[in-house]
Amino acid sequence: MEQKIGVYICECGPNISEKVDIDKVIQAVKPLKGVAVVEKFKLLCSEDGKKFLVEQIKKHGLTHLVVAACSPRDHEKTFKEVCEKGEINPYLFQLANIREQCAWITDDKNEATKKTIRLTKAAIRRVRLHTPLEKKEIEGNPDVLVIGGGISGISTSLQLASSDRKVFLVEKEPVLGGLVNNFEKIYPTMERGPDLIKEKVFEIEKNENIKVFTDSQVEKVVGFLGNFEVTIKKIKEEDNIQDFNVGAVVLATGSKLFDPIITPKYGYGKFDNVITSLEFEKMNLSGKITLKNGKTPSNVAIVHCVGREEKGYCSDICCLYSIKFVRYLKEKIPSVKVSNLYSDLCIPGKTHQNFYEETLGKDIEFLRSKDIEIAKKGNNLEISYNDENNNKKKLTADMIILSPAVEPTIDASKLAAITNISQGNGGFFAEEHEKLGPISTSTEGVFITGCAQGPKNIFDSITQAEAASGKILTSLIPGRKIEPEIKVSQISEALCIGCKTCLTVCSYGAISFDDSKKISVVNEVICRGCGNCVAACPSGAANIKHFTFNQLYQELMEAVQ
Amino acid sequence: MTEKFEPRIVGFLCNWCSYAGADLAGTSKLKVPSSLTPIRVMCSSRVDPVLVTTAFLRGADGVLIAGCHPGDCHYDEGNYYARRRFAILKKVVEGLGLESDRLRLSWISASEGQRFAEVVNEFNEKIKKMGPNPLRTKKTL
Amino acid sequence: MKEKDKNKDVLVIGAGIGGIEASLLLSKADRKVHLVEKTSYTGGSVIKYEEVFSNMECSTCMVAPIQQELLQDKNINLITLAEIEDVKGLPGNFTVKINKKARYVDMQNCIGCNACFDPCPVSLKNEFEEGLSKRKAIYIPCAGALPNVPMIDTENCLRFNGKKDCKACQEACMFEAIDYNQKDQKIELKVDSIIAATGFETYDLSKLSKFGYGKVDDVYSAFEFERLYASNGPTEGKIVLKNKKEPKSAAIIHCAGRDKKGYCSSVCCMYSVKFGHYLKSKIPNIKITDLYTDLVIPGKSNQKFYEKLKKTKVDMVRASDIEISKHTNGVSIKFNNANGKKDNLIVDMVIIAPAIEPRSDASKLAKVLDIKTDRYGFLEEQKGNVSSVITSKPGIFMAGCVQGPKNIQETVAQANAAVGKILSSK
Repeated sequence: MEQKIGVYICECGPNISEKVDIDKVIQAVKPLKGVAVVEKFKLLCSEDGKKFLVEQIKKHGLTHLVVAACSPRDHEKTFKEVCEKGEINPYLFQLANIREQCAWITDDKNEATKKTIRLTKAAIRRVRLHTPLEKKEIEGNPDVLVIGGGISGISTSLQLASSDRKVFLVEKEPVLGGLVNNFEKIYPTMERGPDLIKEKVFEIEKNENIKVFTDSQVEKVVGFLGNFEVTIKKIKEEDNIQDFNVGAVVLATGSKLFDPIITPKYGYGKFDNVITSLEFEKMNLSGKITLKNGKTPSNVAIVHCVGREEKGYCSDICCLYSIKFVRYLKEKIPSVKVSNLYSDLCIPGKTHQNFYEETLGKDIEFLRSKDIEIAKKGNNLEISYNDENNNKKKLTADMIILSPAVEPTIDASKLAAITNISQGNGGFFAEEHEKLGPISTSTEGVFITGCAQGPKNIFDSITQAEAASGKILTSLIPGRKIEPEIKVSQISEALCIGCKTCLTVCSYGAISFDDSKKISVVNEVICRGCGNCVAACPSGAANIKHFTFNQLYQELMEAVQ
Repeated sequence: MTEKFEPRIVGFLCNWCSYAGADLAGTSKLKVPSSLTPIRVMCSSRVDPVLVTTAFLRGADGVLIAGCHPGDCHYDEGNYYARRRFAILKKVVEGLGLESDRLRLSWISASEGQRFAEVVNEFNEKIKKMGPNPLRTKKTL
Repeated sequence: MKEKDKNKDVLVIGAGIGGIEASLLLSKADRKVHLVEKTSYTGGSVIKYEEVFSNMECSTCMVAPIQQELLQDKNINLITLAEIEDVKGLPGNFTVKINKKARYVDMQNCIGCNACFDPCPVSLKNEFEEGLSKRKAIYIPCAGALPNVPMIDTENCLRFNGKKDCKACQEACMFEAIDYNQKDQKIELKVDSIIAATGFETYDLSKLSKFGYGKVDDVYSAFEFERLYASNGPTEGKIVLKNKKEPKSAAIIHCAGRDKKGYCSSVCCMYSVKFGHYLKSKIPNIKITDLYTDLVIPGKSNQKFYEKLKKTKVDMVRASDIEISKHTNGVSIKFNNANGKKDNLIVDMVIIAPAIEPRSDASKLAKVLDIKTDRYGFLEEQKGNVSSVITSKPGIFMAGCVQGPKNIQETVAQANAAVGKILSSK
């Protein structure tokens, strides 16, 4: 079919008309091949302007539209809608930026006019090579897989299930609840941890939308948003495998503690009565705090920041739970002396300073310290440290509680590989964007929450779990199709030489290799259209729709005239 | 008589950062040489080495590739790849018999309208001093 | 009422990062959103920062695409220059009354060319730029503000004050965009739920008499320093003293107002480290001293960021009882060091990190919404509920610093969580 390109130049009031000799531009572009009409208009983005364009399309039977006006970042969407109204495919359109990047950056009318002619000609040459592109729609499965049945996983599951989504909740332990099951109380409200868990687990068991798989782990996750094929296996039962399909995956696998065995100066594993915070929580929950010999401790030291130097980050929760421990100790052993050895008191947030201040009291001391070494002294333990003025000090204690760094769980690497996401700082799962995308990952449809994303307290974990449900409830809606990116990469079967270079450069894992045909294949649903594979391809087999080599070449040719 | 040399500079600007920065230079009414013709790409990693060499072969006096600052790439790591390609391309440009400084890579964020203007002004001056691309008038290499 | 006909619209109060994120997410789920913003622009506090920690990403680049998305989203009804006057009803059926001030500029006709600014005869301190530069009575707060449409400050405009029949801006406009006949509007809406995301203010440093703020030259608040460093700010990003010279030394004072407020504002240590990076990037040999009490840098990425700065030889000094005064060679800071001994420092520039506090209109908002505030004036979480986004009233949620001091990541998580709560309620 014969191409009929309509070219319209916006005066933008005086903004363009006073800086560019539009009539000269019209004369210059009129003779170009395929150009059916060239007109100018006062303000094309106005209601009148849009109406005018639609009328023009119909009047001249235009097949393509070129508008020379402001930046596409302002009005590309506006004119694309005009195309749709005029029944032209919105991708058979090009907007030449003759305002922000031409009229507004020079006072020389001559220069501006010449540049406008170049830009308009470039747009015309480019649009000739545009191909119509259609919106894609794919069915999305609204069900969700939640990996990890701790407080985060439980909270996400309950929120999703209350919206009638089916949730598959997979937990590797025999029971749900995760770490919070061990905390007699949680700060700063000091409500009972196990009660909180019990209440929520009860709701889960009642809820028909949630299917729980304990003693199980995820073996395989393949696919993309709306369509993940998942395989889970019962631990220690080789044949007990289940497959199902979900639309999204939430990683809520929590954390574990740094093992102080790695830092011998703390005497962990060497001396009796040097225990980790988790061991202390468990002991406290059992009702009695005792030394190994059954006696009640009278001098307890809590050492903060264990493993901080090795891990390279502050674990957020330790100062606060160490303050909580002071309360545990004083409640159960009123006469006990408690010393907290810390470097910086990390108690951010509106409630935490108050929590700390109300914990202070008789026989409780907070000592700034560094270079801590723990040794045995008779029946007791002795801590040598430097205070903040670098004076050497010693402290005797009969029980020492270590507050170790929070780390990702042992299977974090395996899960990252299975779900095709990366591990970021500290080995925690990498979020899509540090500020604006803490819950999503670079793989669309895979979300991370709670301590799996980074060390944080219970309330923040719950917020993230709720956030994950917010993201999922808005991206996967039953009955609604998913619209992936249109301007994606396409790889020519004929030109692909099977070198696999494109696979290595794709940040999204959108390219796979077809072993039988020995060519690379783009998954158009995952592809985000950056073009990296195109630039990397040695044989020119890859191209981005709407940003093909030939289209850019046309713009280039005008640029070098 | 020497005709005044008007450079022809091609600018590949990434949609999310540098193209926005260039727009801001316009909105702020800064003075930017008209010698630069912008070509919008979605990511600096889209800038194909073949496009750059073609630009020079077809007579471009200068080529500017502009992307997001390292760490800010909308597509995660695209700009890192652009940087690597740029390093190799500089050698290719030399191989064509041109000064490698005719190719430039700049990180320009969406709020750096001022910086965009500075970069283009500076680049334009440099190209003017270097003179026109000799390949413009050559029939063959 | 039939399920199908039930109003599912959501009112979001505040178009800062929290409000924008919540609105965009709700729109994805086909909910109609009425986004009410007190000022003339979107982006809240985040657009005042040049870069954000810990990846030092350009803040405006980060937010501009979502602001654009917001402005073009058909499901989102952005109402700027508006405040909530009254809310009645029950969850699922709130009636909201909004006072919308006239902008006096037609949002359809205006193309953002800024031609109306120059002719305006009135010059005032620009609040967005923390008073460090001037604006006219018809203005946009900063270059790149979205929506890119000015407003008329009727309090100071000569025409609206009855002082003069001035038409300078209208005469300069080629698009007939300036309309003096616009009127304030009263808008009534019915919504299903509400999210309060109105953000924060910083502690008024002039209340701390010993800090010399407002009295001693070259003592800046955090926001003032952000604007000094901003490439679209009053000095186009040049860090200069009042005498236009570059500082050779700077001190960053943490925890200002912490004792008075009774909590740690959680983000100041991190942005103080960011400020250190700012200073070193523009003035590589500058000598920087941080006066702090405890270094609060939790999280997997933050210590790395701090250590990078530490490598450039920044002095971290634990200090208390700080007194700032004029000195012939700059600014004098007297303090007690970690030993309890008196010490002092002379620097060219002082930057003070103030506590984050609720907005001065937070209690008014709480009253209008009929929700509780906590002892600090922030919106209070529902008692007995572990969620941090649920207020004391069902159907009303909150996100961001209106609930308590927090960073951008935490605000975004809360905004997503509030949306999750709204979409999952029956």
